Amino acid sequence: MTTVGGCGFSIFDRQDGKCVMSVKIASNLQSGNVIMIENEPVVVIKAQINKSGRNQAVVKVKTKNLLTNRVSELIFKSDEKLEGVMMERKECTYSYFSTPNHVFVDSDFNEYEIDAESIADLEKYITPDMKEVCEVTFYEGRSISVVLPKTIIREVEYTEPVARGDTSGKITKTAVLKDTKHELQVSAFVEIGDKIEIDTETGEFKRRCT
Amino acid sequence: MTEMPAAKAQSMARPRWDIFCAVVDNFGDIGVCWRLAQQLAAEQNREVRLWVDHLESFSQLCPNISPAAEQQQCGLIDVRDWPRHSPDAFPDAEVADVVIEAFGCELPARYLASMAQREVTPIWINLEYLSAERWVEDCHLLMSPAPRSRLSRHFFFPGFTAKTGGVLQERDLNRSRQAFTRAEATQFLTRIGISTPNPDGLLISLFCYENPALPPLLECWADGTVPVTVLVTPGFPSTQVSNWFQHELMLGQPLQRGKLTVCGLPFLSQPDYDRLLWSCDLNFVRGEDSFVRAQWARKPFVWQIYPQSENTHLVKLDAFLGQFLRDFPQSAAVERCWQAWNGVGEISLAWQDFREIQNSLQEHTEVWACQLDRTGNLADNLVRFVRGKS
Repeated sequence: MTTVGGCGFSIFDRQDGKCVMSVKIASNLQSGNVIMIENEPVVVIKAQINKSGRNQAVVKVKTKNLLTNRVSELIFKSDEKLEGVMMERKECTYSYFSTPNHVFVDSDFNEYEIDAESIADLEKYITPDMKEVCEVTFYEGRSISVVLPKTIIREVEYTEPVARGDTSGKITKTAVLKDTKHELQVSAFVEIGDKIEIDTETGEFKRRCT
Repeated sequence: MTEMPAAKAQSMARPRWDIFCAVVDNFGDIGVCWRLAQQLAAEQNREVRLWVDHLESFSQLCPNISPAAEQQQCGLIDVRDWPRHSPDAFPDAEVADVVIEAFGCELPARYLASMAQREVTPIWINLEYLSAERWVEDCHLLMSPAPRSRLSRHFFFPGFTAKTGGVLQERDLNRSRQAFTRAEATQFLTRIGISTPNPDGLLISLFCYENPALPPLLECWADGTVPVTVLVTPGFPSTQVSNWFQHELMLGQPLQRGKLTVCGLPFLSQPDYDRLLWSCDLNFVRGEDSFVRAQWARKPFVWQIYPQSENTHLVKLDAFLGQFLRDFPQSAAVERCWQAWNGVGEISLAWQDFREIQNSLQEHTEVWACQLDRTGNLADNLVRFVRGKS
């Protein structure tokens, strides 16, 4: 297993067992990150940035305490410096769902279960036949979350046809993904059956795959 | 052992609140904080200290304030100079029971350190800007633990629904407005240097940021068929109007072109600004404080939202329009006018449509104010929240 960082991490000079502490900017939080809240580790289930008008951007975060399993909703200023925990991660692929867990498997066929609730925000991209290599995250030897690749490719199951004319990609419409039925905005030229690339951090459509 | 005087005992029992206000620009931030401080002290019997980083601005809003004084009593409020840009100069001050950080201003490091050392940590609230966006309901009252500290703050979002913190409203505001007669309006206008406007015309108050839509609107008013008297606040509006007339707008010296008459206003106190809103047929307001007061005035109003880069403010504008006009059948005319006033669309066309629905909008503003009244006022909601945490 390796200890690796992620977007927004910088090494902090304190070590806590197998976990390396780091500074994590609130606006960079994403599902699967682990931060220390009141001296206890919590895993981020969902992070959502809200910004408009004169209000400062704030990040609403749903977390699960890794010691008590208590789920909480918290809020941070987007530039708040939080105490992040750089977790041990291991490359795995998705295997199957067994209520209430998603099961991932490594190259030695070791299985790792992750509570579906902890990765609820990622379920919109998890399909039974997904092949992408993910990183399962561990806290004190326990698998607690998964980090998806930065981009993934999924098939569009349904989208409304759009009148011919605009092919600039500036006009968007709603598309429904195969298997998960997740809806997202895509360019107008995307059609049913197309494979599209999606940014898993922002949830945004990136491009149509040829 | 002597018995403690009753007054002292009562004073000791009063919860102490500190409000920190950084004046970003203009008078909106301090306007809201000053109203809140006064309500907490007068209506909730709180002992309130107001820390302001720019007393010069505050003194314009409240002439009793001395910009040079480090500490002064203004009515019921203990006003303190906050040397925000010289952190080491922040005085030793006993931490209050409740600490309000207005609009995300960062608290002084020394004060924060004292908060963390207090045996019972204070209730720390970040009071946010007002917004009608849906996400505000989801974020209202959420906790924000400070890293590597015993402290936690709560985000308090003002808003227009019962799931938000509401907006500021003094308990006697509605009664005062109802008791304000037409004769008193005339007296008030005379007192602030405005001669009796044409009773058949339209009386408008104008308070805005620098606004490219203002010159074409002045053209509209000048070329219209109805006499329009515009009462112009100092600052951006007065400068823009002067530029349009190519003549400086002075107090007591109205300017006229076609059907349009403009009169300069002095800087008004908060109570007098309310009277101005109540006296006019239509109010142009901006930012947060005047925007809320216009709603309580129950008169048609047009809002210029604080402009932001990348037009992010337009989302907030549309969110309010969505709530405000939900049950108003002629909403399109209001939307077009407000959007044009905020840079989206042409104001002269929008104005014609807006004029046609102004009477029905008058009725709608009354309905809206009643609805808003039911969400409870911000000071009460704050106190209720703090009580629940104590």
